[in-house]
Amino acid sequence: MARKMIGFLLVGLIAFPLTVLSQEGTTIKGTVKDNEGNPLPGANVIIEGTTYGAATDMNGQYSFRVPATFARGQEVQMLAKFIGFKTGSASIRLDPGEIVQDFQLEIDVIGLEEIVVVGYGTARKEELTGSIRVVRSEKMEQLPTSSFQDILQGTPGMQVVANDGAPGAGISVRVRGIGSISASNEPLYVIDGIPVISGSVSFTDFGNGGRSSNVLAALNPNDIESIVIAKDAASTAIYGSRGANGVVFITTKGGVAGSAIQWARGPKLEAKLQRGYSSFAFPNLLKGLNAQQYKELFIEGYVNSGKLSAQEAEERFQKLYPEADQTNTIWLDEITHTGITDQLDLSAQGGGDRFTYYVSASYFNQEGVIINNFFRRYSSRINLTANLTDRIKIANNLNLSYFKQRGITDGTRWQSPMYNTYLLAPVIPVFDEQGQYYAKHKSFFMGGNNPVGHLNEDKRDLEQTRIIDNFLITYNLARGLDFRATFSFDILNVDEYLYVNPRYGDGRNVGGAANESRTDIINWQVNETLNYTRSFNRVHNVDLLVGFEQQKLFTDNVEDAGEGFPHPSLKTLASAANPTLAVSLRSESAFQSFFSRANYNYANKYFVSASFRRDGSSRFGPERRWGNFWSFGLGYTLTEERWFSNRIKFFDYLKLRGSYGETGNAEIGNFPWAGLYGFNREYDGQPGAAPSQIGNPFLTWEKQQNLNIGVDFAFWNSRITGTIERYIRNSKDLLLDRPLSLTTGFREITQNVGDMRNSGWEISFEAEALRRKNFNLNINFTITTLKNKITRLPEPLQAGHFRREEGRDFYEYWLYGWAGVEPETGDPLWYTDETKTEVTNNIGKAKRFYDGKSAIPDYFGSFGLNVRYRRLSVSAQFNYQFGNYLYYNPGWVIHGDGRFTPRSTSLFAFQNRWRKPGDKALFPKFMWGGNKSSNVRSSSRYLFKGDFIRLKTLRIAYRLPDIYAFRIGAKSLEAYVFLYNFFTWVADQYLHFDPEQAPNGIYNTVTPISKTFTFGINVGL
Amino acid sequence: MKSLKPWKQTLIIMSLALVVFGLGCEKNLLDLTPHQSVSDEEFLKSLSDFQAAIIGAYDQLSIPDWYGRYMLLVPDVMGEDVKQNAQANRAKEWAEYNGSITTTHRIDREFWAEIYEGIHMVNRIINAEFEPSEAVRDKYNQVLGEAYAIRALAYFDLVRLFAQHYTYTPDASHPGVPIVLEFDINQKPARNTVKEVYDQIISDFEKAISLMTIDPPNAGRLSKEAAQALLSRVYLYKEDWAKAEELATAVINSGKYTLVSRDQYLTMFFPGLSSEAIFEMVYTIADNPGSNHLGGMYKSTGYGDYLPSNDLISMIDDNDIRKGLFIYDPELPGGKWGNLRVNKYPSSGAEIATDNIPVIRLSEVYLIRAEARAHLGNEAGAIEDLMTIRRRAWPEAPQVTATGQELLEEIYKERRIELCFEGHRIFDITRQKKDLVRKDCTAPVCNVPYPNDLFILPIPFEEVNVNPDIAQNPGY
Repeated sequence: MARKMIGFLLVGLIAFPLTVLSQEGTTIKGTVKDNEGNPLPGANVIIEGTTYGAATDMNGQYSFRVPATFARGQEVQMLAKFIGFKTGSASIRLDPGEIVQDFQLEIDVIGLEEIVVVGYGTARKEELTGSIRVVRSEKMEQLPTSSFQDILQGTPGMQVVANDGAPGAGISVRVRGIGSISASNEPLYVIDGIPVISGSVSFTDFGNGGRSSNVLAALNPNDIESIVIAKDAASTAIYGSRGANGVVFITTKGGVAGSAIQWARGPKLEAKLQRGYSSFAFPNLLKGLNAQQYKELFIEGYVNSGKLSAQEAEERFQKLYPEADQTNTIWLDEITHTGITDQLDLSAQGGGDRFTYYVSASYFNQEGVIINNFFRRYSSRINLTANLTDRIKIANNLNLSYFKQRGITDGTRWQSPMYNTYLLAPVIPVFDEQGQYYAKHKSFFMGGNNPVGHLNEDKRDLEQTRIIDNFLITYNLARGLDFRATFSFDILNVDEYLYVNPRYGDGRNVGGAANESRTDIINWQVNETLNYTRSFNRVHNVDLLVGFEQQKLFTDNVEDAGEGFPHPSLKTLASAANPTLAVSLRSESAFQSFFSRANYNYANKYFVSASFRRDGSSRFGPERRWGNFWSFGLGYTLTEERWFSNRIKFFDYLKLRGSYGETGNAEIGNFPWAGLYGFNREYDGQPGAAPSQIGNPFLTWEKQQNLNIGVDFAFWNSRITGTIERYIRNSKDLLLDRPLSLTTGFREITQNVGDMRNSGWEISFEAEALRRKNFNLNINFTITTLKNKITRLPEPLQAGHFRREEGRDFYEYWLYGWAGVEPETGDPLWYTDETKTEVTNNIGKAKRFYDGKSAIPDYFGSFGLNVRYRRLSVSAQFNYQFGNYLYYNPGWVIHGDGRFTPRSTSLFAFQNRWRKPGDKALFPKFMWGGNKSSNVRSSSRYLFKGDFIRLKTLRIAYRLPDIYAFRIGAKSLEAYVFLYNFFTWVADQYLHFDPEQAPNGIYNTVTPISKTFTFGINVGL
Repeated sequence: MKSLKPWKQTLIIMSLALVVFGLGCEKNLLDLTPHQSVSDEEFLKSLSDFQAAIIGAYDQLSIPDWYGRYMLLVPDVMGEDVKQNAQANRAKEWAEYNGSITTTHRIDREFWAEIYEGIHMVNRIINAEFEPSEAVRDKYNQVLGEAYAIRALAYFDLVRLFAQHYTYTPDASHPGVPIVLEFDINQKPARNTVKEVYDQIISDFEKAISLMTIDPPNAGRLSKEAAQALLSRVYLYKEDWAKAEELATAVINSGKYTLVSRDQYLTMFFPGLSSEAIFEMVYTIADNPGSNHLGGMYKSTGYGDYLPSNDLISMIDDNDIRKGLFIYDPELPGGKWGNLRVNKYPSSGAEIATDNIPVIRLSEVYLIRAEARAHLGNEAGAIEDLMTIRRRAWPEAPQVTATGQELLEEIYKERRIELCFEGHRIFDITRQKKDLVRKDCTAPVCNVPYPNDLFILPIPFEEVNVNPDIAQNPGY
């Protein structure tokens, strides 16, 4: 039999005989009700310490047969679980025949009984010594945004921002600050137990360097059951060298996770329909000039600079803009329209005691606020579970998705629509007299870019196909002991296509240009675990795990480019006269890991946990190939102590916990340790080689030492619950490019030399403020404080607007100090140094200095409420952030006071410029060619307070009486309106761009974030 | 599956664990190698590796920050033969003798970093342990010789750009550049004297001459004669007239090069590889340097930052073919800017920026020998060499009869006309210890007296910041 079992596991599911069930077993049945006596459908009833049990049906009834492995007459403990209720228990004796056991469950506001996903398993929330946060499916339903990541904003300890506002754009997620300088700061994403590829794998990314595409946009947020964010060492160290930036566990509906206890649910068929309209979320965006204003400024710029008289300037204006009299192009209006979002989602969920399923299909289409910019996704999911025998269970989760994204080349490039909006003269028409996009300005104006033409005629497409599948088999070896094996693959295929036309813009000198790229990624993974969970004498609860995992990732890319397109309708590379690029790239990486974890608690009172992982990675040299990662945690539930609860009645629940451990960050690219010769050299038609990288065999992963101390509490009959946590995250051995003597032949070498600390507090409260039969009001509040400090840096590093120095904040600005405009002359003024005592109009006499301003917020979080009144529910969430500063990167051009002849500027600059002596102006005298370097880059002139409060979501839903639903053949019917990013308050009145910017605080004329008004219906069938 | 005995259960678990863990664990999973690169420990193990590595070094020589553009542009914009166009952004601070760096493209740093990178590339070739088989020994020696010659040329360029000329001090004991012959990641070398650097250059060229026995496929690669020609230039700068004369004669007498005819003069670099080319950088469409090519600095299709000055143009007789190096451009503003552009590198259209760039050619060797002979007292020989070059371009040119300093001035004048826009001018001014005087001048600075700290570039601050032992040039 043993051999047979092994054979089975190795060969797969071939002709396995279903075990015939014993005819004279025991059947247990009964009803589960809530505290008010209403039946609870979907509650789980289980024999403690086993996976045997059943879920209740619509009437709260359950029934299951006890497997024959139990001895006749054995005493077992029965547990009844339902989210939001305390677990009910009963002791029964297994005699043949039918046993009836009913349960009535008490409300549990704290959610201690909640089963949450942890690395390679599940756990009761109560047992955890680490820091996690759970986000439930209701927040993810029908999100009017392409990725679920966006909704994680407001979660304690997390900074989440969209890299830009175009549909499908990437999202930056930081868990407890920035832990790395050169390597990735993004968390690890684990879907149904499988670490998946995240971020961008794009090669062209519409020209945006990986910011504007997101492979996780493949996932349909409606399929998500829950998201668990693991933040401290106790919860992330089991992921070893990949846990340093936190782990985001995503569990799909009916998906396999953890010990994979799957419960039958009544068949549930749902159809969800939604329509939404969007516009830019931030009301105070800059506006461009109109034709008359531009002309005034054009002449003023020449007169002020002394280059031309007013008369001559007027003549020049007529010569440059012959169509000026009939033209008044408001470029922002030309490139924007009302964005439309459409969503349709169909899902079915159900099963019996041997078989469960979740299937879904969805369509999501979002048209951006900028014209010809969209994200269109088709996806489906099949999650199946089958209990083949009492001991063997198999499951398969399959997700297929395809999306097409038409992006925007943005930033401060000449094609960038949001850049052109302010710089292009409003006297340039959109079309010429032949009806073609206007291009006559190409000899003197930003390469003749025409943003409307560029958006409509040029191409910027990305198509992604992704298949994520994981197959799982669980074998119950003995009571409490499960063997589990998971085989998974993640296949990603990304096709990209860029084209610029030959008439105007970036393709004008080369007869048009196109670039096509194909990227294939295959990520396969195997993991095997043994898990032993058992309770001894009712008080000693043990959960042990050992496991093995290996992973390999292959990437293939082919990229071709060409120039010279003979005809406007021919845009593929076959028509290119001059091929300019044909490359293929290949890369691989592999991980091999052994891990274990032990959790023990005594009577749910004292908790101890420890984990260990040993990781090997191809990314490191043979000298540093293997690393060890570990964690240790303790918990103590005071309210379980008689001496405490007898004396201090105030608390219904009080738990202290702490953890410490070390994780790693291996996201440092492949082969950074190796001394390499590259073959990208060519001379006179012959291929050449040159040293491309210095070897450093001791290069290793970055380390993270995390300390977390927390208190979970509940009082006022558990109507107020909350958590307070203190975290200290010490990042060690950070990779830095250190400058070398250039005489070595290299400019820098990457070494593990930096240290950084992120520390702060996380506080969250939830209160059931009102509890009536037909009326419920919940309010919630979270706040996170964050302090960042570079604790070791061998030499200061200057990086753009920042300068990194030991003892300072990583994102502390280092800028010239703007001192305003001299009222008599309209000259720019700067402080000479950090004392701010002296001003000068000569930038050469001013120095850059620190001013205590950073892109890292002092605190951020969310607050919100949920109201339920009869069939009406309202939920709102506000997110906020305070204490950070944002940098307006294109300021030196858009607000350059005429530095770049003859580029236009913003209405704000126009209205606030200096015009005559005595003016107290915000902007200096406008002069073509510039005004005394008034537009110097890296000046505090372009720095703004980032404080904001935003109404992230507001959902008002009404559940129609079932009678109406029945009339149309449905079981339930809900209609709602859902407002996304709808209201924004900012502290700085001069802030003219959206306050939600990338973690480095730099706004670079990317597409602004949208607000969306949606309405929809959910039909239960 | 009914109630197994505990020992049996344990056995199952143990064997399962063993089998599964053992199977899963793939032994060499983590030993991956990159696909686009080769480990440096695996490289330079065969002749073809050496051949690939030397091509890499030539590619390095040809980049815009070395011979592709600035090695020829900067010495000319520091002289008086070119003037700035109305908007000249590139190399502006060197044309204007600002003494500070204002542009974002840091030519001082790029020269320093890229030339030392080239030195590192050839040091690897020179220092690699490799015992060639008899069959490939000559080919290996040829590559090795090329590596030595490239190293010598690299140090010669560094010492010309970053140090005062050889005779600035009587014994050439003034600071040169650090000599780096071995790779050490932690090195922070001090500057060697100019004499030490010249000694290294001479030794490397001599080594190259002794190793090279094979004629290269074209003048795009270094040859024994190319090394001799370059070494004769080094001796000229060192004022070792006899050695300069001897090596120049060896090159001229090798019979491998002939001066191009007057008809073909203007197309010498496009398509290039003319009969007088001894060593030049070869460019093809695949290099695609666009406006960053040397020609792009002068032409309207590129940046067009620099224009020819009348100081030079007025020296050239109307019947001299070299007057054809300038073309009329009606788009230029006129006035003090004039309407002429440099057209020595005339590629255009689809073949734009594929002009070859001269490093050394036969006419320079004649002029080196003329100058050396004049110093050695062989004035007849000097005049003969001078007239060979002058009459090739201007057949009606009157016979030179000058002697002494006047003869030298004639030779210098010929150098200016013949080698204009080929990156010689500032070095010729300083080694002759002359003041820079610009008559047709559009820069803020028109006169720079000799001696002057600003005739050489600063050690880039990136080097000074990291390397406490390196001395900055005075004046920066």
